[in-house]
Amino acid sequence: MQRSAFTRAAATLVSVAVAALALAACAPDAPAPEGTEQGVIKFGASLPLTGEFSQGGLDTRQGYEVWVELQNEAGGLLGRDVEIIVKDDATNQNTVVTNYNTLIDQDGVDLLLGSQSSLLNIPASAVAERAGMVFVCPSCGSPDMFNRGFEFIFFSQQAVATDQAKVFAEWVAALPEDQRPKTAAYPALDDPFAGPVVEGAEAILTAAGIETVYKDVYPATTKNFDSIVNSIKEADADIIVQGAQFEDGVNFARSLLRAGFSPDILYQSSSPTYGQQYVDGIGAENAQGVFFSSSYHVDADTPGNPEFVAKYEEMFGGEPPEDAADGFAAATVLAAAVEATGSIDDQEALADWLRANEVPTILGTLSWNEDGSPKGDFLVGQWQDGVSQVVLPSDAATSDTILRWKGSAF
Amino acid sequence: MSTSPVPRPLRDRLLDERAWKIGSRVLLVVAAVVLLLFPLSPSASAQNTVILALVLAIGASGLNIITGYAGYLSLSQGAFLGIGAYITAVLTRVAPDVSPFVWMPLSGIGAALIAMLLALVTYRSRGPSFVIITIAFLFLVQFVAIEWTEVTNGSAGITLPLPDWPRELRNWPFHLALCVLLALSVLMSWAIRRTKFGTGLIAIREDEGKAGTIGINAPIYKVLAFGLSAVFVGMAGSVYGYYLSFVDPVGMFSIIICVQMVLAVILGGRGTLFGPVIGAFLIEPLNALANNSFGGGNARLVLFGGLLVLLVVLLPQGIIPGIRHLLARARSRGAVGLSGARLDPRPAVTVERAAPVEPPKPLLEVRGLHKSFGGNHAVDDCSFTVPEGSITALIGPNGSGKTTVFNLISGTMAADAGTVSFAGEALAKNPWSRAHRGIGRTFQITRLFREMTVLENLVAPLRDFSFRQLGLGAVSGTEAAKAEELLAFVGMAAYRDAPASSLSYGQQKLVELAQVLMLDPKLIMLDEPAGGINPTLIARMGDLIRELNAQGTTFLLVEHNMPFVLDLCDPIRVLAKGKVIAEGPPDMIQKDPVVLDAYLGDDYLLDQQSKTGGIAVVKGARR
Amino acid sequence: MIPLVQTLVLGLLIGAVYALMASGLTLIFGVMRVINLAHGALAILAAFLTYTLWSQWGWDPLVAIPLLVVVMFGVGWLLYVTVIKRVRGQHVSMTVLATFGIALLLEGIMGFIWGNTSHAVRTPYTDTSVQFGPFYAPTALLIAAGVAVVVLAALALLLGRTWMGRAIRAASVNENGALLVGVSVATVAAATFAIGVATLAASGAMISTIYPFLPGSHYQWIARLLAIVVLGGLGSLPGAIAGALVIGVAELLATAYIGAAWPIAVPFIVIFVVLLVRPQGLLGTRLREDAVA
Repeated sequence: MQRSAFTRAAATLVSVAVAALALAACAPDAPAPEGTEQGVIKFGASLPLTGEFSQGGLDTRQGYEVWVELQNEAGGLLGRDVEIIVKDDATNQNTVVTNYNTLIDQDGVDLLLGSQSSLLNIPASAVAERAGMVFVCPSCGSPDMFNRGFEFIFFSQQAVATDQAKVFAEWVAALPEDQRPKTAAYPALDDPFAGPVVEGAEAILTAAGIETVYKDVYPATTKNFDSIVNSIKEADADIIVQGAQFEDGVNFARSLLRAGFSPDILYQSSSPTYGQQYVDGIGAENAQGVFFSSSYHVDADTPGNPEFVAKYEEMFGGEPPEDAADGFAAATVLAAAVEATGSIDDQEALADWLRANEVPTILGTLSWNEDGSPKGDFLVGQWQDGVSQVVLPSDAATSDTILRWKGSAF
Repeated sequence: MSTSPVPRPLRDRLLDERAWKIGSRVLLVVAAVVLLLFPLSPSASAQNTVILALVLAIGASGLNIITGYAGYLSLSQGAFLGIGAYITAVLTRVAPDVSPFVWMPLSGIGAALIAMLLALVTYRSRGPSFVIITIAFLFLVQFVAIEWTEVTNGSAGITLPLPDWPRELRNWPFHLALCVLLALSVLMSWAIRRTKFGTGLIAIREDEGKAGTIGINAPIYKVLAFGLSAVFVGMAGSVYGYYLSFVDPVGMFSIIICVQMVLAVILGGRGTLFGPVIGAFLIEPLNALANNSFGGGNARLVLFGGLLVLLVVLLPQGIIPGIRHLLARARSRGAVGLSGARLDPRPAVTVERAAPVEPPKPLLEVRGLHKSFGGNHAVDDCSFTVPEGSITALIGPNGSGKTTVFNLISGTMAADAGTVSFAGEALAKNPWSRAHRGIGRTFQITRLFREMTVLENLVAPLRDFSFRQLGLGAVSGTEAAKAEELLAFVGMAAYRDAPASSLSYGQQKLVELAQVLMLDPKLIMLDEPAGGINPTLIARMGDLIRELNAQGTTFLLVEHNMPFVLDLCDPIRVLAKGKVIAEGPPDMIQKDPVVLDAYLGDDYLLDQQSKTGGIAVVKGARR
Repeated sequence: MIPLVQTLVLGLLIGAVYALMASGLTLIFGVMRVINLAHGALAILAAFLTYTLWSQWGWDPLVAIPLLVVVMFGVGWLLYVTVIKRVRGQHVSMTVLATFGIALLLEGIMGFIWGNTSHAVRTPYTDTSVQFGPFYAPTALLIAAGVAVVVLAALALLLGRTWMGRAIRAASVNENGALLVGVSVATVAAATFAIGVATLAASGAMISTIYPFLPGSHYQWIARLLAIVVLGGLGSLPGAIAGALVIGVAELLATAYIGAAWPIAVPFIVIFVVLLVRPQGLLGTRLREDAVA
């Protein structure tokens, strides 16, 4: 009896679902962007708020939200208030595609902002390209993003992944003979961003005569690095250049501690830029001297930075992590193009304008090549005494000393 | 029939079979038209959902062939979607000026080949082992996609070019391509179900061991089924990859998609034609809903995990079978079933038992057969022959190993030692080649395929393997005609369309005999044909056996019913403790003291001796 | 030579922890022929509970273990009564689906409660290592291996010396026979499942100090555990221990000598090879498929 009651219920469910589907199919989407004459300008983005990259996604969302607040306080965009719709793609490519489709068609957003990480932005940007909408992404440094002949994509940081460690590697290569490392290890996360960072660094260091004694790519699911660290310890590397994202950087450092192995120089991409999270993760005394590349520094004397830092403190407390700054910068870039061209509808005009102009942001002045990749150089940072300092290039540096990992100055 | 227009009660009108048939056909046409024209919808996100639902439906429809028909649960169906997508992506990378649609057939063939390879490699795995292996397969394929960077570009993935048709056409090409693939997939599923191949697959699902004894070569069936299940899925994967314009290991080989495909099959109804499609179109919108309204990742997991658990616990048969079941129950209320009907009368045939050929040639020769289960020697150096054209009996007390000997001869079990030769030649190890050589057997507890009708049960056996045979129709055509003929022969013609599970034990035995006869066997082994049935039926059994024997079929019977045996069989072999202890014609066996001892034990003889001083001869030794 | 031995040492230590985790899985299969695909997710649940006890109230994982054993026992009992019991009689693939559904459900719920970023328990012993001769072993790993040995010994004692243990073994060999001698099979089944899940309390707690974890980690764990019980033989406890040690060592050898990406593939390759070449594993018995029900 229970069974048949249930099948009856199931049958009803089927009919209801079918009816609902039919209704949903017939419901037209929100009116096309042409319709929003007065009223709010809607920005739309999908971010990994859950899943493996959620830390970066949450930080980027904070950056977008700070921007919306500050922009509205300053009178809005083209005289109208702005708002942003953020959807969660759970670090999943299918979902990010669906989300952007929904944002464009159902939510009828006027302008798009990118997701976080190259992995997600590669397919997301294709959706935007197909719809003919400008796609400014805060973190899509993989070279694969820019070799597809897209016209609407722009990366709002200073350089692509292969050049991220350039300034750092050049500094190492230029060290005097007695201080320069002889052997190097290159563990990298299997990621379209982290991999090229390490490749770029290796090219420069090898050319300077530094021997590669360990090089391997570990999968994203690696949590325990003891055996990798073991191999690096056996190979006795003087410098470790790790292509990391966030957690893997922290776990790798902890494995180094467990194994009691301390190379002279430790460089990690991305991970050390996560501010207090990173320091808490590996311990303040262990963060001492860790190198990283950064697109942003809290004390940088760049346009709008003090306001950004203050607003962030007010809204979320503490100092803004790099991903928040990148998100803020992406919105700044897009808004600059809108202000300059005076319209939100002609996306091609926006794209053309960006290619032809520079935009001052809290990351510095950004400008782009034909393919949407940025022209510029990253800053090199280092944790010193619990503070994240900029050490290279010297004209942007906030600290005069450069330290070894957990050790003395160079 | 009354001619006055009495209005039929509403309940009957609602349940009328023809009305339901017409109604569902109309519904089908309407749904197909709506689906085909869907890109006209003003909502692009609904279009996206429908496209994803189509992909899921094609995957589920293909999965239905191995999971629904053949009963092998695969958690790696999504892998073939990914394989198809990768093949197209890689070829597009190599030849960027060619439209990715061109590579669609290759994607399908590639996916099918890999699926067949998987089936070949896993042919020994069943049940839970099989599921585990499919999970391992999925992750291994993902691993290969990640590591083989020269071809697949590793975890960075491959981006496909944007569509080169005008933006106004939007999703039409993708949508139509997928609609065509779905139609083809459903058509293929329908075609399979109507052929011997389909009934063979269901036989494998119901009882793989029994299927072997009626000539169904399970490994080959499985390889074919796998290939067919993957071919359209690979093509759909090709379209899917192009639609996403991005192909990467994590997205393409996701276990969640595999779970959704399984869910779709089970929700809609395993083994039904449209169940998987309906299931897919229910699940994909749920997926989209979970993403948009409830915030993504975790909501989706809770939703699908919960749905899976609820489904398995509460509605494991699925929607369509559930509805059918409901309707059948409603219709059959108060109606009289078939089971009470009498058997068809048969013309009385008197058969002369033909004089045995001098000297009788052995058709079956068993030599030195051994089989132990742990310390129990069930069959211990057993040797005997079955003369051609005879009705030989194999009798013996309980536990003497008779059924085990049958299993060893039919190939259901492998012997530890000894040989079985048939018509002078050695036999291959597996049961289906023995069935093809002409050995058929029935089982002590009948093993019919309960979910199929009687007719389908009869069409399932395979006389010898050929692709042409597999394609023969199950419900109509030469095979069905032959099946009906045999059904009439055993007197079960009225039960042609009854589900096998609704038959009584005696009726099942008759059908099982007819099933074996479909093989055109030279030797039929009957395991207790007279056991558990009423005397009329026993007599009919005897008649059937004699009639078939007169036409040249050799019989080997295991029986306990002594009058039946002594009347019917000559010669008789007696098995005790795994060995043949006596053989000879009935009258000799009756009196043989060794035989009596085996059946009755020492006590009986001792008792008799002490009372009468001589050995009592009991006519027709009973246990 | 030394690097090889070092790798072996690390492999055996982690293998001991794997063995503890796999013991519950093989016990459950042995008694009720259910492949519990939720085993990995339940282990992660235990790890998360440990994390909460540590981060909110400062409990050391070792101290938390007794409480967790009780909690996980209850969770196991609850799961058995609500889901497993109802699907036991069905085709075995249905039980696989049901437990996989539970795993997904748990993953989603854990994600809601704790979020999807990595968590790790950081006690004084998680970042140090013990040096003996030219070799070193991370302290947390040593402690975990020690706990594993103790709990496995307790489990063996339970199965071998207590009435419940004998009842469990009886039910796993012959359920009808056990019924006939007065074993309440329903209770034994529930108890077995609950005990199998309870073993995860100790292993989950220890895992939280060695590997950072998040809800999605359970896939890698269940793959590993399946490989272990398949290799050792479904239903055999000594087999699970042997299989765990082999797999622990194999993973580390693969990292050290082939590449960092390969440990992921080890469980799947093992599953394939074992199920194809020797389906009963090292120490398991072949299911008699021809036995008449």
